[in-house]
Amino acid sequence: MIRVDGLAKHYADLRRGKLVALGGISFHARPGQIYGLLGPNGAGKTTTLRILSTVLLPTSGTATINGYDVVNQSSQVRREIGFMSANTAVYDRMTAWEMVEYFGRLHGIARDELRHRMEVLFGRLQMNEIRDRLGAKMSTGMKQKVSIARAIVHDPPVLIFDEATVGLDVLVARALLNSIAELRDHGKCILFSTHIMREAEKLCDRLAVIHRGRILAEGTLEELRDQHHERDLEELFFQLISRHDECHPPESEVDRTLEAGRDR
Amino acid sequence: MNGSNVRLILAREIRDQVRDRRTLFMIFVLPILLYPLLGMSFFQVAQFLEEKPSRVLMVGAKGVSDAADLPSLVDPQRMNRFDVRLFSDPVQVGLLELSFAPEEPRDGPEEREEPWRAARRAVQAGEYDAAVFFPPDFVERMQRFQRANRSRLEEKTSPAEATEPEDPLPLAVPEPKIIFSTANEKSQIAFARLFDVLQNWRQEIVKDQLVAAGLPTAAARPFNVATSDVAEETGHRGAAVWSKVLPILLLVWAMTGAFYPAVDLCAGEKERGTLETLLCSPAERSEIVLGKLVTIMLFSMATAALNIVSMGMTGWLVLAQLPQFGPPPAMAVVWLSLALVPVSALFSALCLALAAFAKSTKEGQYYLMPLLLVTMPLVVLPMAPGVELNLGNSLIPVTGVVLLLRSMIEGNVVQALPFAAPVSAVTLGCCLLAIRWAVEQFNSESVLFRESERLDPTLWVRHLLEDRRPTPSASAAVFCGLLILLVNFFLNTSLARWGRVESITGLVLLTQLAVIAAPALVLTLLLTTSPRRTLLLRRPRWLTLPAAATLAIVLYPTVVGLAATVHRLYPVSDVVKKQVEGVFQDANIWHLFVLIAVVPAICEELAFRGFILSGFRHLGHKWRAIVYSALFFGLTHSILQQQLIASLVGVVIGFVAVQTGSLLPAIVFHLIHNGLQLLMAHWSRGISPAVLDRWPGAHFLMFVEDGSLVFRWPVIAASAVAAFVLLRWFHALPYEKSTEEERYAAQLRAQRRDD
Repeated sequence: MIRVDGLAKHYADLRRGKLVALGGISFHARPGQIYGLLGPNGAGKTTTLRILSTVLLPTSGTATINGYDVVNQSSQVRREIGFMSANTAVYDRMTAWEMVEYFGRLHGIARDELRHRMEVLFGRLQMNEIRDRLGAKMSTGMKQKVSIARAIVHDPPVLIFDEATVGLDVLVARALLNSIAELRDHGKCILFSTHIMREAEKLCDRLAVIHRGRILAEGTLEELRDQHHERDLEELFFQLISRHDECHPPESEVDRTLEAGRDR
Repeated sequence: MNGSNVRLILAREIRDQVRDRRTLFMIFVLPILLYPLLGMSFFQVAQFLEEKPSRVLMVGAKGVSDAADLPSLVDPQRMNRFDVRLFSDPVQVGLLELSFAPEEPRDGPEEREEPWRAARRAVQAGEYDAAVFFPPDFVERMQRFQRANRSRLEEKTSPAEATEPEDPLPLAVPEPKIIFSTANEKSQIAFARLFDVLQNWRQEIVKDQLVAAGLPTAAARPFNVATSDVAEETGHRGAAVWSKVLPILLLVWAMTGAFYPAVDLCAGEKERGTLETLLCSPAERSEIVLGKLVTIMLFSMATAALNIVSMGMTGWLVLAQLPQFGPPPAMAVVWLSLALVPVSALFSALCLALAAFAKSTKEGQYYLMPLLLVTMPLVVLPMAPGVELNLGNSLIPVTGVVLLLRSMIEGNVVQALPFAAPVSAVTLGCCLLAIRWAVEQFNSESVLFRESERLDPTLWVRHLLEDRRPTPSASAAVFCGLLILLVNFFLNTSLARWGRVESITGLVLLTQLAVIAAPALVLTLLLTTSPRRTLLLRRPRWLTLPAAATLAIVLYPTVVGLAATVHRLYPVSDVVKKQVEGVFQDANIWHLFVLIAVVPAICEELAFRGFILSGFRHLGHKWRAIVYSALFFGLTHSILQQQLIASLVGVVIGFVAVQTGSLLPAIVFHLIHNGLQLLMAHWSRGISPAVLDRWPGAHFLMFVEDGSLVFRWPVIAASAVAAFVLLRWFHALPYEKSTEEERYAAQLRAQRRDD
């Protein structure tokens, strides 16, 4: 479903010369699976997902979604995905209903079908009370709901969530995670990036630990635990990261990678 | 491109803008309020200006006002006013307030100068708006003159008493002076008023003399000049003013109306984070751009239309009461609406591209000023007196539109209509370019995801020097081009100002080596790792060299033909022609050949087809690289006419350089082209048509005009066809693509496969 092969992204950066946001990563996510990208801030998660959503071009490597190439068949790719991240905001001067309708229409859904689908969706996500509220007047949780509705209104086979729970309170975050699990059960292929261990543990069927543009470990949660003889994911994560940093201190590296705290 | 997506985006953007209070205010409320308010304040200001009296100092006027046999200058009742009979409109008497300088006993010549100087000082210091200085002997001389006149008259009537006239008629007449300052507006107004009064006074004196001589007063004014304004009959009264005001208004508001929505729709969306939402929807970038563009266009058109309607209404109701203004001509509405669409489209596309570049609305607002600075001269240039609508001017973007509109509103429809085609073509061309630019901005991830970085010049320079690539970047190419242009400009202006390089040799070598070749070579060494690849220093296939040489020869008549056309469109002034000719007057032809053909062929090619072209190759398409480098090449030439031709030739040379991957064929082409030009100019200087008789058939190929050879059109056509064939051959050569060009081609291939 999502096949990523040697994907790399470099930037020219005045301060640090060539900046490697992604150093050639590969993974494969299947339908009915939640694939987690687990990494600290600035690990390259957002860059990966932006390339998959065709907003950025990779420097090298390939990525296909449902068999479509993200570089050369970008418009087909965008039809196959629902993309939601902290960077895909909600329009201030549009109501929830108008916003979701707009994107549904852009996906070419016929009017009647769209109406029916939206009624169901608004019911399921409990959005009926914010139906006619302008984006500017919504709380973060409300906006997040609108974003989800916007991302899944065209019923895409692939869903990409980038740090979807950032800034949400416990209740809304929990509801969001539940809906994502539900979507998986409907057979969607879901790519879920996060830096929160609890979420990854609870939700993901497979995990890739990503740090400074490289995948440090990959497998199911059980596989990772067995490989690294560590039951606690947070501990495991921390060990992986610090081991990598010891072997490749940022200064000695030829391709200087992103430092923590900065995400492109 | 999916039409329904464009419609969807358009509908959303319009709704978005309509829900924005600031936009509504700028577009609907402001124009409706602005002009009536302006109209009112205009009246108040006008009244304020009209009613201010001028303070005038009268020097030496005591005798003048007392003199019995002169018509009265000053009102005998109110000593601070001129006589009311000297005004055509009696109301204006109050506009000149007189003060009299104290009369002092005059003895020596130094004292005589004193009141004159005092008056000048008073005007300089602004105590008075103007002063009138009567020379001390003014009255005496006037009286003497009158006496002489009278005795001459008596002599005529009674020839028996043949006495000598008391005084001969003086040749030099006395000169009262008005002292004023052109640096001061109030003083200028006072001068105009005083001048009228003194002229009327002089008229009165003449009249008195005529009466005394028994002649009718009409003798001094044998005829009157009456006027009749045809504009009044055709309803074009005031058209001259409106034809200047309305086009400017249209352009300025079309731009303003485009700018604010553009900033909100692009930079604003970036800032609010909704742009990425839209970018990962199925809408294509081109659909997004088109949807936004049409939205901006609609708002631009609405703003311009509302402003013009509001201004027109104000003008119709308020300004029409003034005698020198009429209401705007009714047909203006038609012409303005016709012009509105292309003008709005052009500005909308420009604003869209600029706004897409901006990271935030605040940054977007900063770009208004540069945009205005670039556009304003084009809008205001046609307002200069003497700039008329002709083919040359109609080809200048924006200026052409203003001139065309002006002629149309003035009522010269028939004369202006033929220029509608070139003006529309140029405007449309600019529009398409601007739209392409906007689409490109939306396709460039460095523009869409631009981050504000701290500007650190040292880091930047270090980055340039350390992270060098084999060939320069596009921005390095731009930098090199601008550097050459700037240095060239300053060199030329400073030479013109501070002295001349004595010989043409010095001038050419200085320009070519120091201004053109040196920057390119230095930048190549500093900024690239492979001078060989940057400057295309590679051995070409041997066949390309004779091919380039043949191309240069074959293309020559076409270039000459084009140059002739350009010179017809934009004639070179005689002064410039003389200067250019003077340079070549008395130099050895082979010496000149080295200077004009050999040196520039090497130096200019190194810079323009070497460094600059290689830099632009990173833009992703060879033609863009070729055209941009050719534009820089053209701009280094000094006169406009040369710039146009050189840019076209530059495209051909750039193409040859890209296709052969080597600088050598380009140098060969350049050398032969310049050489031919020089030799033809040399041999045909002062040529007589008889020369052509020596060769049979020569008359069919060329003729002599203004002492130079001109090719006939069959030659030009044959030359163009042959050149085309040769260019096809170059086109068929496999050429080396840059990484960016490879990527672009791969995308195109994939797109074609999908379709």
